[in-house]
Amino acid sequence: MKTRIFSVLCENVPGVLMRISRDFTRRQINLDSVTVGIEPSGMARIILMFKADDHMAELMRRVITRLEPIMEVEVIDPERSIVREVALLKTRKLDEREMLQILQRVEQSGGRVLESKGNVLVAELSGKHEEVESTIKSIGPDVLKEVARSGQVFISREAS
Amino acid sequence: MVELTGAKILFEALKAEGVKHIFGIPGGAIIPVYDVLYDEKEIHHILVRHEQAAAHAADGYARALGKAGVCMTTSGPGATNLTTGMLNAYMDSSPVVAISGQVPTLALGTDAFQEADMLSIMLPITKHNFIVHRVEELPSTVRRAFHVATTGRPGPVHIDLPKDVQAGKADVKIPAKVKYGKSPRLEPELEPLRKAVNLLANAKQPLIFAGGGIVWSGASAELVQLAELLMAPVVTSLLGKGVIPEDHPLALGMLGMHGRMAANMAVTECDVLLGVGARFDDRATGDVRYFAPNAKIIHIDIDPVEVGKTVHVDVPVTGDAKPVLAAIIKGLRERAKRGKTSEWLERVKRMKHEFAPRMDYDEVPIKPQRAIKEIQSVLDDEAIIVTEVGQCQMWAAHYYAVKKPRHFISSGGLGTMGFGFPAAMGAKVACPKCDVVNIAGDGSFLMNSQELATVVESKINVVSCIFDNRYLGMVKQWQDLFFQKRRSATYLGTTPDFVKLAEAYGAWGDCAAKPSEIAPKLREALRCGKPAVLDIPIDPDEHVLPMVPAGGRLDQMLT
Repeated sequence: MKTRIFSVLCENVPGVLMRISRDFTRRQINLDSVTVGIEPSGMARIILMFKADDHMAELMRRVITRLEPIMEVEVIDPERSIVREVALLKTRKLDEREMLQILQRVEQSGGRVLESKGNVLVAELSGKHEEVESTIKSIGPDVLKEVARSGQVFISREAS
Repeated sequence: MVELTGAKILFEALKAEGVKHIFGIPGGAIIPVYDVLYDEKEIHHILVRHEQAAAHAADGYARALGKAGVCMTTSGPGATNLTTGMLNAYMDSSPVVAISGQVPTLALGTDAFQEADMLSIMLPITKHNFIVHRVEELPSTVRRAFHVATTGRPGPVHIDLPKDVQAGKADVKIPAKVKYGKSPRLEPELEPLRKAVNLLANAKQPLIFAGGGIVWSGASAELVQLAELLMAPVVTSLLGKGVIPEDHPLALGMLGMHGRMAANMAVTECDVLLGVGARFDDRATGDVRYFAPNAKIIHIDIDPVEVGKTVHVDVPVTGDAKPVLAAIIKGLRERAKRGKTSEWLERVKRMKHEFAPRMDYDEVPIKPQRAIKEIQSVLDDEAIIVTEVGQCQMWAAHYYAVKKPRHFISSGGLGTMGFGFPAAMGAKVACPKCDVVNIAGDGSFLMNSQELATVVESKINVVSCIFDNRYLGMVKQWQDLFFQKRRSATYLGTTPDFVKLAEAYGAWGDCAAKPSEIAPKLREALRCGKPAVLDIPIDPDEHVLPMVPAGGRLDQMLT
């Protein structure tokens, strides 16, 4: 099943996310990523990522479009858009050698260290989902105590 | 500046929508609204005895009248009791606007007395729902609620109204238009329309499958016109009954699990099937792999979600049935060549004759087929038939010939036992000059029989004909056919005596035990000047046949 991305423009009122998510839940679809942001117009933009076959993806597009607070559902082609994910990492207490190793790895991947207090590092990564994923893997679960991830955000390359 | 309370504003807003009737029950969290109702002259309130009945009554009212039906309850249990009725209206696309009281906004989320999270509870079972947080939002919310309920594909809307919003004051005007609101596509796109006309013009064995969408679109005339132009027979869904007069030569009756054999065979044999305002649900299609296997399918619906949802559609058309059918008729008229359908019509007529249902049984206990025949013989074309759910419903759907849209009201998608009686009550309030007859089973009737108090007190003279077999009949039928006659928990015993039950409430009650007694007693019931219950003991072993077993093929009916 292919990964699908919807960019949903909707009224910024309580309950909209619930209206959307339950339509996925009842059809046994797991949302892999959800991000919400407010547009300059005051409308909310919700980016949804999920896996579905063609028939189900088209049905979901219509189902979400039908919801009363939804203005527009744009189906985003990942190939023709810019994708970013942000991750914040916190390590366990590190010895000096580990500290150096991780600093290096974060810098190599284009991230930056935000804080280092009491031998604990907090770092920020951003990039494509796979890049962020591979850096996190390379640092390893025994070192990382906490990871907070934004989910993926997309913007179409095309002029609208 | 004139400041009005939220409760007063609510009534002004309801009057601006043309609301004349509300079905409801008051309670602690909606007393400010009922206090305004006390002096209200233009809106008539019908006090029901259970909130579920308020929702079904508003639903029946909406279906009979073609306008939104309104119901009102208190918070907590009052509001949760609406849920079955709201989902029922949602499944059958009926415009019900429900208003519930709610605890004051400051108490929201504190598990206050009679607090229920109605925004969450109503969310999946309504077309849309609101909670009003400020008095100022009330006029636009009510306007939008009616807009959502009645435009596009109709559906129920719930408004949750905290008590402090009812009591609070504001100086506001009722807006002339909704600020937001979707405008569904009404006129079809040209390309699919051209394809549809092409297919129909070249069809040798065309068939029309008409659903409840035609009722809401007001497209019956166009449907009949198109059928006559193409000389195409018409099958209907349960909710489509009456969109073509069922005594029309081209009408084949209902299709599906308990449909007419000729209708199901025509679906199986047709080469082009035009579905209009129908959602091709499983009870209509049977096994979709064998549904209209030889046909190109054109599907017209106002709701794009429904188009091609369950069956493969060759030509999807999104739009309102009335303009779309009119455009197809125009397109066909512009073409010189039309399909030759006479052989097909002969075949369909032969099937219609061969599989004509038998109704002339004389046995005692009475056969339900005969009971329907007797009821039909008494009623005119203006009578509104409402049904409960189960065997009684399918006998009515299979055997009763409905002549007009909005004259057959039944719980389709949800199959809600207990729907019929309150819905009949709503239909009678909407159309007081029509005879309204609820074709009921004894099991379903008991699920909302407390409304006998409502109809007597409010003088709503509906007649319930109880097809009394002392079983949960449809479940029993499945047990008989598919579970080796192991009638688990379906026998209802000997209570109550329905005649005495009616009389206890002050209604008219009688029993027709022989076929010949049904017509005279029904006439008496209709003329008695009171709500009435006619108990008709029927053969408890009778099944609804023919039948397509669940998931079976339409051309393989059990007989």
